[in-house]
Amino acid sequence: MSEILIKNASVCDPAQGINCETMDICIRDGKIVDSVSGNAKVIDAEGKLTMAGGFDGHTHSAGKINVGRFMNPNDARKNLVPGLSGQVARTEKTRAQVGYNTPNTYAIGYRYAKLGYTTICEAAIPLLSARHTHEEFKEIPILDKMGLSLFGSNWQVMEYIRDKEPEKLAAYIAWGLKASRGYGVKIVNPGGGEAWGWGKNVSGLYDPVPNFDVTPAEILMGLVEANERLQLPHSVHVHCNNLGKPGNYATTIETMKLFEKVKPSRDRQSLHVTHVQFNAYAGTSWRDFETGAPMVSDYINGADHLTFDLGQVIFGPAVTMTADGPVEYANSRMLHEKWSNQDVELEDASGVVPLFYSPKSFVNAVQWAIGLELALLVKDPWKVMFTTDSPNGGSFVNYPEAFTYLMSAKRRAEVISGFSKMALDRMVLPGIDRELDFYELAVMTRSIQSKIYSRPEKGNLKVGSDADIAIYDILPGQIDPTTEYEKVKKAFSGTAYTLKDGVVVVKDGEIEATPKGRIYWVNAKVPANIDSAMQKDIDLKFKKYYTVSKSNYMVEDMYLENPVEIGTEGVF
Amino acid sequence: MQVVKLSLKKANKIPIEADNVNPDNFAGKTTEEIKAIPVLYGNGQCPLGDLFNVEAEGSDSVENTKIVFEGDVSRVKRIGQNMSAGEIEINGNVDMHCGSGMKGGKVVINGDADSWLGCEMAGGEIILNGNASYYVGAGYRGESCGMRGGKITVNGNTKDYLGEHMCGGEILVKGDVGLLPAISNNGGKIVIEGKATMPASEMKNGTVIINGEVSDLLPSYKEEGTEEVEGVTYRKFVGDVNVGGKGVLLIK
Amino acid sequence: MPVIKDAVCSLCGSLCDDITVTVEDNKITKIENACILGHSKFVGMFEHDRIETPMIRKDGELVPVSYEEAIEAAAKILVNSRRTLSYGWCSTSCEAISGAIKLAEETGSVIDSTANVCHGPSALAAQEKGSPSASLGVIKNRADVIVFWGCNPVHAHPRHMSRYSSFSKGFFTEKGRKARTMVVIDVRKTDTAKLADKYVEIEQGSDLLLITALRSIVNGHEDVIPETVAGVPKAELLELAETLKNAKFVCIFFGMGVTQSRSKYKNGDAVSSLISDLNQHTKAVMIGMRGHYNVTGFGQVATWETGFPMAIDFAKGYPYYNPGETGANDLLVREEPDAAIIAAADAGAHFPQKAVRHLARIPVIQIDPYANPTTELADVVIPSAIVGIEAEGTAYRMDAISLRMKKLIDSKFKTDEEIVKDLTTKVRELKRGA
Repeated sequence: MSEILIKNASVCDPAQGINCETMDICIRDGKIVDSVSGNAKVIDAEGKLTMAGGFDGHTHSAGKINVGRFMNPNDARKNLVPGLSGQVARTEKTRAQVGYNTPNTYAIGYRYAKLGYTTICEAAIPLLSARHTHEEFKEIPILDKMGLSLFGSNWQVMEYIRDKEPEKLAAYIAWGLKASRGYGVKIVNPGGGEAWGWGKNVSGLYDPVPNFDVTPAEILMGLVEANERLQLPHSVHVHCNNLGKPGNYATTIETMKLFEKVKPSRDRQSLHVTHVQFNAYAGTSWRDFETGAPMVSDYINGADHLTFDLGQVIFGPAVTMTADGPVEYANSRMLHEKWSNQDVELEDASGVVPLFYSPKSFVNAVQWAIGLELALLVKDPWKVMFTTDSPNGGSFVNYPEAFTYLMSAKRRAEVISGFSKMALDRMVLPGIDRELDFYELAVMTRSIQSKIYSRPEKGNLKVGSDADIAIYDILPGQIDPTTEYEKVKKAFSGTAYTLKDGVVVVKDGEIEATPKGRIYWVNAKVPANIDSAMQKDIDLKFKKYYTVSKSNYMVEDMYLENPVEIGTEGVF
Repeated sequence: MQVVKLSLKKANKIPIEADNVNPDNFAGKTTEEIKAIPVLYGNGQCPLGDLFNVEAEGSDSVENTKIVFEGDVSRVKRIGQNMSAGEIEINGNVDMHCGSGMKGGKVVINGDADSWLGCEMAGGEIILNGNASYYVGAGYRGESCGMRGGKITVNGNTKDYLGEHMCGGEILVKGDVGLLPAISNNGGKIVIEGKATMPASEMKNGTVIINGEVSDLLPSYKEEGTEEVEGVTYRKFVGDVNVGGKGVLLIK
Repeated sequence: MPVIKDAVCSLCGSLCDDITVTVEDNKITKIENACILGHSKFVGMFEHDRIETPMIRKDGELVPVSYEEAIEAAAKILVNSRRTLSYGWCSTSCEAISGAIKLAEETGSVIDSTANVCHGPSALAAQEKGSPSASLGVIKNRADVIVFWGCNPVHAHPRHMSRYSSFSKGFFTEKGRKARTMVVIDVRKTDTAKLADKYVEIEQGSDLLLITALRSIVNGHEDVIPETVAGVPKAELLELAETLKNAKFVCIFFGMGVTQSRSKYKNGDAVSSLISDLNQHTKAVMIGMRGHYNVTGFGQVATWETGFPMAIDFAKGYPYYNPGETGANDLLVREEPDAAIIAAADAGAHFPQKAVRHLARIPVIQIDPYANPTTELADVVIPSAIVGIEAEGTAYRMDAISLRMKKLIDSKFKTDEEIVKDLTTKVRELKRGA
């Protein structure tokens, strides 16, 4: 039995409505408990902001990121955020580290932990290459991990939707999650991946997918029906059509509206829209490009069925990586950049392109503003998950920098002062004076994730929850984040302590211990007769079209370290 | 003026990484202090003085500091890396990355240089009185910008990929170069007195002048008449058309 | 009599996973679906080459010893080395590769794979331009124009054309070979070329000229093309470019004829650009025909663990990468290493003479199931189980799809994974002792 007493912490835990109150936290055997014995090890947290461990609900940290590493060896020596990037020699406790946007697996674990993050969700697992994702998960120390499996351009999915077989579709989703050991349903540019199989794209929700006679809207509605039928812990996680295109805010709102009537099967949103910054563009071309954030935010303020994340841009080098194959090709041609592509048979596409966000580029400046506008114009922080879509908008190691943008209008004004007039004319950010407090920041970085992913033991400090805790060397009452943003950035860049399951993994910004995290995956139960009917269909797919055998397709148990199987009961 | 003389105590096969050996790091230091500067030798560190005889005379600013290597240092890498001023003279062959990332000052090599001479350099001057190997003035793996300023003069020959990804500065080669000089360059000027093979592939911008024989001119250049440079008339090629290039390739 | 279905063949980068294996008395007695190369490996045709026991060289002779003695001797070599080269690791599992990387990190070694002598330039090319690719099933289901450039699958990847490419039938390619155009570009008329609809013979070492010419045509600049390029008449080039542009889906499979001929990685770099250009007209991708069954896996594992796919130097404590400087042959030709581990590969047979001569001068540790010319150079020889037959583990197909290789029969030999782990433990012990 191991016990820890965190004394006199200044606790900010929105899940319990606790806003920077001084209190003790008791830990026994990795869980938060009511009380501990006198033998408990004491951590003095007086004067320190204490929150649940951070939870990055949308990051590209295992799988596709390897393509980014592979094609950008020059990223390894980039040290733009000292202490959280660049080359670091091995120590007795830690493996060697390299990189900035595409760090090696060990660096990912250490650096998230230093920021006080303890859980991540990989945003895209192609079913066929899921084993690879889990191999990387295994080498990411400290963090708990989960991943979202891609279904948005999958032949079997599109055929079941076209043929109006919702039960078999649900059975297939359940099987796909099991095969890939995924946690939820990711939909990227629905139908677009299949169109990209012929070098094309779909233009919007009602543009039929070539050869499959379904529309992106039908794919979305089919998959959400299956998602809720299976009572999955997470809602569908949608990367909208037309990403990165001026005028796409309309598609985004249209997509959100589609879900208004969906009844969620659990106490959570029925739709999560991801990296909305990239999908909140107004204008008709890059010439008259401008922010669409006010329109999108307006809609979200009046809706109660959805959550979203930002995809905030950080100035400097980034690496875009997405299952949206056609977008990446277009990026590479427009920016004259390197281009990697990986189409996945019968399932999806993907691409990786490095780029550079410059404050001198009016487009980049407006993109930067849009992310912040969304965060600040949407009134309820319980709808907003903070992300940079790392490393698409920028590396996660910049989160502390991004927090200062959210918390300080003065800091924003400083950045904005470097923008061109053209950029300023295309954004509304300069007119926004809202500044988030620590409580709201905690909502966006841990509390809402607990709710969005139905992980009640995460993202809060309730009794019974996992003892994943971040203790920051900053005291809310004693500093003013609207002016002292350098202190905010410093405190969030390296915790005084990070605890993972009650183990001190970071102390004074340095790695103390590197335990292995868990892998969460979802096993949704489906009636045997429906499952076997579905299996017949996919057996045919494997026999005729796949190039791997069905038995070799399934990710084996041995690839999952500390697996946590989340069972759900499908409703048929 | 400060002059620091270095010579290897013993010839080595395992390379020494001398990224700390430059005027910026030596200026104002005594012999003993310089001897204590750590260098990497294989997978371990040791003080410079364990590997080199060191003799420092005088004490002066970076600009007025000169480092002289006597004898072969063909297994000493990164001499003059990132230097900003002063002078380095190498009387022998030198290993890889000499003068890489240098910003100012001067390096004179009286011998041959191994690969990546003056890689990603931004300023200053390198004079090589010998032959160079691969990637003179190029960019490192994955980078899109190699040499961006300064001047490299090679009085001998070079091997392949001279000035790869160059985007500024000037390279002059008195002898022959290998395959694909000026590949993917985006600025700067390269003059080759001798022979070259497949020059200026994917050049976006910049000027390449070749006085010797050119083999295998790539089928991605438009011939646009002639151009006279310093009294010499050249055939003028513009390209690379595949990258919408505005580079100028002048061939005698 | 156990019959094991869907076994993965651990021979070439095609990694066929539909092999049926019959085992009797711990012997493989029947193999179904494998090609002749895979079949030979499964049924133990190479058994006579097995290393029977761990050995240490004493007075010039390799003398049998226990695993413990061999591992201790190997560990001593490593802790006394200032620059160890660890090379090979492509005919083994990802788990063993991961262990080898950890060992290299702990000993400040340089670790490199057999890509150093085959597809390493493909990685360098991807670092210039990216890697526009697809899984093999995409080719099977969609590609109507397939190009084999500088590769000869008939001999090197015998089932490739039937499973994944020319002859395969898929969703949009029901007619298989009949509805496909197969193009071979090579310097000589190989057996693969004999099956092609179109064979383009080019002059040795002129690949880059040809690729550049095709790009110029595809990009609308045929006016800059001279009458012949790379020995190919302009008319033929125009026709080839038309074939590519008018396809529904093009795949260029490229081999060592592209990566190891003159201008090396700049060829792959240019193919990548050609693919990008072709996508202005149609859909096109490229896939490298990787040889060793898990050379792709080495690249994958090394990339996520160190940031780099090969040629990784840990001398500084963190990974440093610079092929041309940190590749296995770069080091050996310069006579840098003072010790070497050669595992699951044969440097003795495949390296240039100068490199082999240096290996002969330094202590060499070999880890391999089979004896080969490297054994002749080795001072410590550690035999291992054959992955995919006697040991399980992960491997990556040439299109970066990972598969689980099965253990089919028991073996008296330790696995590569175990050997590397034991070696690392021993190295730590010795270091702590020191």
